[in-house]
Amino acid sequence: MAEGTLSWERVQVEREVETVSRPSLSYWQDAWIRLKANRRALISLYLVVALLAFTVLGPFVWTVNPAAQDLDQISVPPGADRTATVAEDYTPWRGVAATPIEGGDTLLAPASVTVADQPTTTAVRLYWDAVAGAGGYRVYRNKYDPEPDGALGLPIAEILSPANVSFEDRLDLKAETYFYSVVPLDRSGGESASYTTVTADVTRVITAAEAASKGLIENASDVSPGDTVKMAFHPLGTDYLGRDMLARLMHGARVSLFIGIVAPFFFVIIGILYGSAAGFMGGRADQALMRFADFVVALPFLLFMILLRILFNVESGDSGIGPMLVAMVLLSWPAAARLVRGQILQIREEGYIGASRLLGAKTNYLVLRHMIPNTMGVILVTLTFAVPSAIFTEAFLSFIGMGVAPPTPSWGSMCNEGLKTMLTTPHELIAPAAFISITVLAFNLLGDGLRDALDARMRATE
Amino acid sequence: MSEIADTPSPSVPEGVAGTGLDIRSLGQILYLGGIGVAALGVLLWLLAQWNEGGAGEAVDSATGTITLSLGGEPPQLDSTRGTDAVSFNILGHTMEGLLRYNAENRLVGGVARDWEIGDTTATFWLRPEARWSNGEPITAHDFVFSWRKVLDPRNASEYAFILYGLKNAEAVNRGEMPLESLGVYAVDDRTLEVHLERPVPYFDKLVAFATYNPINEAFYESREGRYAADAEDLLYNGPFTIARWVHGAGIRLEKNPQYWDADRIRLNAIDYAYFTTDPNAIINLFKDNKTALAGLVAENLDDALQRRWKIKRFSDGAVFFMEFNHREDRLTRNYHLRKAIQAVNDSPELVYRIIKLPGNLPGASLFPVWLKGVDGYFRQEYPLTDPPPDDEAGRRHLALAIEELGLDGPPTLVMLIGDSPTAKKQAEYYQNLYKQKLGIDIKIDAQIFKQRLAKMTAGDFDLVMAGWGPDYDDPMTFADLFASWNENNRGRFDSPELDEAVDIARSSSDTKTRMDAMARVQQILYDEAAIVVNYERGSVYVSHPRLKGIVRRAVGTDPDYTGAWID
Repeated sequence: MAEGTLSWERVQVEREVETVSRPSLSYWQDAWIRLKANRRALISLYLVVALLAFTVLGPFVWTVNPAAQDLDQISVPPGADRTATVAEDYTPWRGVAATPIEGGDTLLAPASVTVADQPTTTAVRLYWDAVAGAGGYRVYRNKYDPEPDGALGLPIAEILSPANVSFEDRLDLKAETYFYSVVPLDRSGGESASYTTVTADVTRVITAAEAASKGLIENASDVSPGDTVKMAFHPLGTDYLGRDMLARLMHGARVSLFIGIVAPFFFVIIGILYGSAAGFMGGRADQALMRFADFVVALPFLLFMILLRILFNVESGDSGIGPMLVAMVLLSWPAAARLVRGQILQIREEGYIGASRLLGAKTNYLVLRHMIPNTMGVILVTLTFAVPSAIFTEAFLSFIGMGVAPPTPSWGSMCNEGLKTMLTTPHELIAPAAFISITVLAFNLLGDGLRDALDARMRATE
Repeated sequence: MSEIADTPSPSVPEGVAGTGLDIRSLGQILYLGGIGVAALGVLLWLLAQWNEGGAGEAVDSATGTITLSLGGEPPQLDSTRGTDAVSFNILGHTMEGLLRYNAENRLVGGVARDWEIGDTTATFWLRPEARWSNGEPITAHDFVFSWRKVLDPRNASEYAFILYGLKNAEAVNRGEMPLESLGVYAVDDRTLEVHLERPVPYFDKLVAFATYNPINEAFYESREGRYAADAEDLLYNGPFTIARWVHGAGIRLEKNPQYWDADRIRLNAIDYAYFTTDPNAIINLFKDNKTALAGLVAENLDDALQRRWKIKRFSDGAVFFMEFNHREDRLTRNYHLRKAIQAVNDSPELVYRIIKLPGNLPGASLFPVWLKGVDGYFRQEYPLTDPPPDDEAGRRHLALAIEELGLDGPPTLVMLIGDSPTAKKQAEYYQNLYKQKLGIDIKIDAQIFKQRLAKMTAGDFDLVMAGWGPDYDDPMTFADLFASWNENNRGRFDSPELDEAVDIARSSSDTKTRMDAMARVQQILYDEAAIVVNYERGSVYVSHPRLKGIVRRAVGTDPDYTGAWID
């Protein structure tokens, strides 16, 4: 054995091989890149952010009170004309009296019908010539010309005395042209075949005091009768009580999104704890826990909701949001629990978990390093899918009247109200329905994108 | 649906791997969904066709049949126990009492040919030709039997009070006296003698009410508790009989050949083929020429104008008001709180801007404008001045109320309402009105009819939106509503002066004295702000142009088709 000739040298390791061509990406960075590539998910994400801004910041920008009723502008669609003429204060009208004229068998039409004063949205005043032999008169109003078929329209009033030959119409007047027809009645109330029609071009008016109280002008003395003012601006129109649709949508979104985000947040947390406990323990404990989850799934939601209302002592005039939230949290967690449990069971058997264990990893480390990141995708996806379903449940319950109490709006109750006037004023239904649809769609597509982006196994495919 | 399915599918963006639900499959889903919805639509249409097989055109002149919709299944056709409008309507067409209203709304003889009403007795002589639908003659005993039945405590009739004018009626109804002591006797088969507890000047109007109808005792007993449960469990004496009654689906009335005045009846059959209260369903049936009459709501007035229908209106006689709870433990017992609410009330605004239906009149008095007074209309003879809303006065009264009640600020009140969309709309209007003008917060408690009645009876409210329809054609039907002894005085309004006035009005036989007393009732209710009257209800409707002679009225059968004919 020769000595001293042997020299040990450190072998040169070729570091080049290990050079990273791209910066190392964390799980979240990687997921974000994949999400950004998914255009639909990205647009949905922007929509969700916009909706949150609409809800939280909207009321600071658009400071209209959602409960204030603008009775001069009821069921006004967006973009309607809103100029009004300033008029004198309303004073009751004494009417026009006439001496009844005795007459023959056939009732003739009134010789003339006259519109007194300027016809306005406050009142249209009519008077006519007495008809010989009439026992009274009936006044009709139409939006369309009664000729040629004599469709007189709405019977607006009956005057059961021949001594009165005038009528003041104040019923729901709009700024349009009306056709008024006066038909004489015989002594027993029978209607004559002849009538006289007059047209009235109604102008929209507002009194100076009213305009000032609504904040349209500074002082009532600033304007004089005949001037024009602009009525309050309602960008999305008004509802059946003249309430601003935009303000109601913003405030309604608070309820809808509050329920939609808070309820899923809580039941997903419960689901994670429950599911991971079941998955971790396995065996009999797992069986028992999951059978209990099955039992909860079988409970009918609506019945539970009603019971909770009684338990919470919610009177019919109170808001049902509390019991709704509790019912959702109590009944909706099993879906999340099942998913998480399935995931945990699967991960528990993975080789890297076994290796990690052999290397001496503690339970805490296993859970935090391996389990949670690997179930995170499932959890987030469950959450984003739960949001639209919760929003929908809230809308449904408010629609059937078990949600918010008036005057608090919610998208669901707004749909319910809009449905009644769907054919005449569709904007009252379309706006809240569009908001519900867009929100639900955005959360669904975002959830879809997140599922793909957060799936850890997808890293291998790139 | 097809439009959505035809939309070209945008291409799938490159480089996005594993997108679970790609757009192409979304398009396919929409396409399949479209087909599914179309198939479902066809199926539903077929079902609808099959379902409607039984019902004919709105008006069929060949068979003399008209088809109509009805508010629902009549809940109780036993005249001694019926309480609702639908049952009274069917009873009005199939039964006849001693007297009835004719097409001009005048009282004429029904089963009775002559009658005489004195201060303490009333006598009715029955027609010999009046018969039951099985051919048996109608006798005075049939009236004695049914009137005793109404007051029999075991029958628990809710309308028993309407017979309280009869001698011993109240005691009999409480079970303190035997049925036989009731003041109604059959002198012979064709003479009915009635003994009255006190003078009832409007007794002739009372006997036209359905609760006073006769019932054949032998037939009643033969049904063994099933009386009026089905078409064959009833014996008819009116212009029509029930020919077919499919529970929950339809009722068909056919002309009664045994009716004594059968020549007057020109329709052969009335087919109530649809049970619905949905205004849109009712109007659609009319549009499709399936029914001959339809009531309109404010939402479809424009549609009706566009179709150039001939629209009619009538007042159904009912008055709607906000009733306060006057019980000891309620804030609304405070006079100034009620006065504050009364002061800001604006009935014209409610009627012209919120309800928007022609026919409704802004209300001020509990007594509607159509009631007859001494010579003419009651309200023209005894006008009630209701000043326009005065917010200043309202706030003044509220400040006094807050001080008297020792409150920190404007209170929160519970408003009990029905569950109809109109009621909700009005309640929201009032909620905002009271909040804006007085700062009072209102909690709206919407309940179905039965539950609302139960809560009203229990006094579980501060304010309640209530209404009252007339039972008979006399101001008394409204005047005694807020008497302290009246069960229907749900707010327990208690005023000795009002009770005294009601007592005079119901027992005096002098019309002027009676009407003066009614006017006092009207004034007390207003001055004390016992209630705030909102509106007098009216309605507008359309009917088939060939169907003539329909009578709409406030008191009595409405709508009344007994005198109708097809032109």
